[in-house]
Amino acid sequence: MDNNKLKKLNGYHVVFLVQNSMIGLGLLSLPQQMSSMGYSQWWLPIMFGVIANLSLIPMIWIVKRYPKDNIFTINEKLVGKWLGKLLNIVLILYLILFISSILEGYLDLIQIVALPDRTIITPLVFFFSVLLYVVHGGIKSIARFCIISFFLTGWMALFLYWPISHGDISHLIPVSNFTWKEFLTASRNGYYSMVGYELILVFFPYIINQQKAFRQASIGVWITVFFYLAVTIVSVMYFSEWQMTEVLYPILKLFQEVELSFAERIDVMGISLWVMLLLSTSAAYLWASKKGMDSLRANNKTYHMYIMAILIFIFINIPFSKEFQEMLYDRVFYVKFAIILWPNILILLHLIRSGRKRAKS
Amino acid sequence: MWGWMGVVKLLSKFLQKKAPSDKSTSKPKLKNKRVSIESIKQELADVDDVIYKNIRTPKGPVTVIYYSSFVDNQVLHQTVIAPILRQDETVIHASEKIDLNDLPHVLSLITTGHTILFLHTQHVFYSINTFSAESRSIQQTETESTVIGPQDAFTESLDTNLSLIKRRINNPELKNKTYMVGTETNTKVSVLYLSNLVNQDNLKRIINKLEELEYDGFTDITVMKQFIEDHPMSPFPQYNSTVRPDMTMKYLLDGRIAVMMDNSQSVIICPTSFLELFEPMEDYYNRWMTATLLRSLRFFGFFVTIILTPTYISALTYHPEILPFELLINLQESRNRVPFPPVMEVLFIELVIEILREAGSRMPTKIGQTLGIVGGIVIGTAAVEAGLISNMLVVLVAISALLSFLPSSFLMSNTSRFIRYAFILAAGFFGLYGQMIALAWLFIHLLNLTSLGTPYLTPGIPRNWTDLLDSVLRAPSGLLKYRKGIARSKEKQVGPLNEE
Repeated sequence: MDNNKLKKLNGYHVVFLVQNSMIGLGLLSLPQQMSSMGYSQWWLPIMFGVIANLSLIPMIWIVKRYPKDNIFTINEKLVGKWLGKLLNIVLILYLILFISSILEGYLDLIQIVALPDRTIITPLVFFFSVLLYVVHGGIKSIARFCIISFFLTGWMALFLYWPISHGDISHLIPVSNFTWKEFLTASRNGYYSMVGYELILVFFPYIINQQKAFRQASIGVWITVFFYLAVTIVSVMYFSEWQMTEVLYPILKLFQEVELSFAERIDVMGISLWVMLLLSTSAAYLWASKKGMDSLRANNKTYHMYIMAILIFIFINIPFSKEFQEMLYDRVFYVKFAIILWPNILILLHLIRSGRKRAKS
Repeated sequence: MWGWMGVVKLLSKFLQKKAPSDKSTSKPKLKNKRVSIESIKQELADVDDVIYKNIRTPKGPVTVIYYSSFVDNQVLHQTVIAPILRQDETVIHASEKIDLNDLPHVLSLITTGHTILFLHTQHVFYSINTFSAESRSIQQTETESTVIGPQDAFTESLDTNLSLIKRRINNPELKNKTYMVGTETNTKVSVLYLSNLVNQDNLKRIINKLEELEYDGFTDITVMKQFIEDHPMSPFPQYNSTVRPDMTMKYLLDGRIAVMMDNSQSVIICPTSFLELFEPMEDYYNRWMTATLLRSLRFFGFFVTIILTPTYISALTYHPEILPFELLINLQESRNRVPFPPVMEVLFIELVIEILREAGSRMPTKIGQTLGIVGGIVIGTAAVEAGLISNMLVVLVAISALLSFLPSSFLMSNTSRFIRYAFILAAGFFGLYGQMIALAWLFIHLLNLTSLGTPYLTPGIPRNWTDLLDSVLRAPSGLLKYRKGIARSKEKQVGPLNEE
């Protein structure tokens, strides 16, 4: 059966894996994150798309040189065994932290919007049982789930019709009404929701057609950019500048604008349906962290996945102070930034190494 | 644990041989015996419908041995006794001479309705197939009836069923390989496929599964189906089963494999996708627009039926704000006398509906009608007036009960009944969030399912883009030019390519 082969991801799988590991919790607060730029923020997603696409090039370049290895084993090969392992531990910690941050954010939101008189423990347990079920099927199962969750959630973009009809298109100009500092803050905060495509460093060995992987990943990135662009443009049209900075989850506000004769407060439904996006994102990350654990222990065991899940579960339930947590999740951003730039250093190491090899022979 | 697995593998290797020789491994004493009237009598002692008839012919006495329950007297007289008495040699020429060392074979011939002739003077045994037991004639189906299209349905006889298929596909490429299943019953199973279309991997898989089967006997093919499915723990049926020859034919032409079993009416078709369980044959007899409409009704009906009553629960328990004001007032008014939480209310009435359905399904029609009236009036009106349930809920439950009957596959409609309870409980725990978690679970489960190693949810995740033409949408028949991706047929295109 096709599950036993190493190469199992076809083009659609790659596109939607990349796309769905990017869209997650970040989209809910994207316009607010970029609000320091005010109304001029709407074209930022395009810039993010270009940056993401550019940073994909070194990633694909390095993994193509090692078509059977993921980032963890490449690290060990290029940086050295022990230093590589150390780096991998940091990477795994980052993955765990990242999953905890999005899960915690999402469940807080669920608690506020949908289940006001509940603690988050039981919803979390249910979430984890489903999450483990996805990851248990391996990367192909995750990829398939990504496709399904795209179609189950993508149609919600239609709800933007109501805010558009209430919005003012003149908000879109001028496009350059900001200072450099504002621009940097907005892009720093906004880029948070772009990350996710770096997981291709982990699942690249499983892609059937590795030559086309760059194109497929780029398509995934630009689908994400399309959604982000739609949301930011509509928010810019709909909100006032004050609202943009103050409304924490602008998407939910946009959903509330929807007027249907048989349903009100679409945001409750929307935030519940968002669990699909959260599941696909965190499943991809959890799988990646499991792969990291595999390479650390140099064997492939299913229980590594459970260890990771338990770590995340414990981490979410440790009662840190809100300040510490925010600080921590904020610092995660720099790790993320480092990871996106890390392939460049790997390329350098690779060139040095291959140069040395050539000199030897 | 591993030792046990080894034993199972060894046994399955034994089973790969034909059933009679298998019997000889289990009863080694038969091997040493020679075929004679005495040894046959000894082996078939206490089988009282074996007839030993001695006939005196001019060429010496002849003994005729047969099962009286399998062989019609008239047939026996016409094909065996009369020719022998007439000294017609053709009956001897037309029959099979028996190896005197193969007693198990003789026994299996007798138990399958053959007549054994023993010519005393020459001391030889012959066998003639005289199986002429009563079987049901070809009738209309009640479970998968259509208004238009052919009305004949399979019967319980394997030969009749094969003939129903073979008269539709007059082609030597249509193969039917026979296997024996059931270690005690020796039931014939026939695997049908078009050898120029079928995917060899699929064929190998199903044959392996059939050969590895080890079980006393199967009362129906639906029992055997559960043994050879990829995921026996799943609530979903992973192979389609039908009693319609036209449907079997359609899938055979698509490059699928049909498996028939003697003594069972339905035929299983593999591999099958999730969506195909919502597609009755009538879709192809209707105009394409009607078919598309009905198909989408069936398909989305499946999701509505598992989501409708749970949404009632979550709306009333956790998120009353998702309902418009007037609707909410209406709902609250209708259940203002109900003292239970919505979950209990829904569970109660859903269970009552299940009980009604279950009680009605085994009653004679006359009592069934009474039951319907009792159920309709007592549950529909009296329970509401008594303040046990709300009016609105009765409507919703009735709709979802009706919707659950929409899928063309009866097993699928049962599955939807079962899954609904999972959704009801999830909604009771976490409202809409729980429903979405349950939905995610459902989809992950469906995505991980395979039917004969092929993804079950095609064309949700299409293998070919052309699959979408015959999915929820049923494109005009002229456009359905390609075989389905799930069949992985050798020839992708239907009919010849361009004439040039």
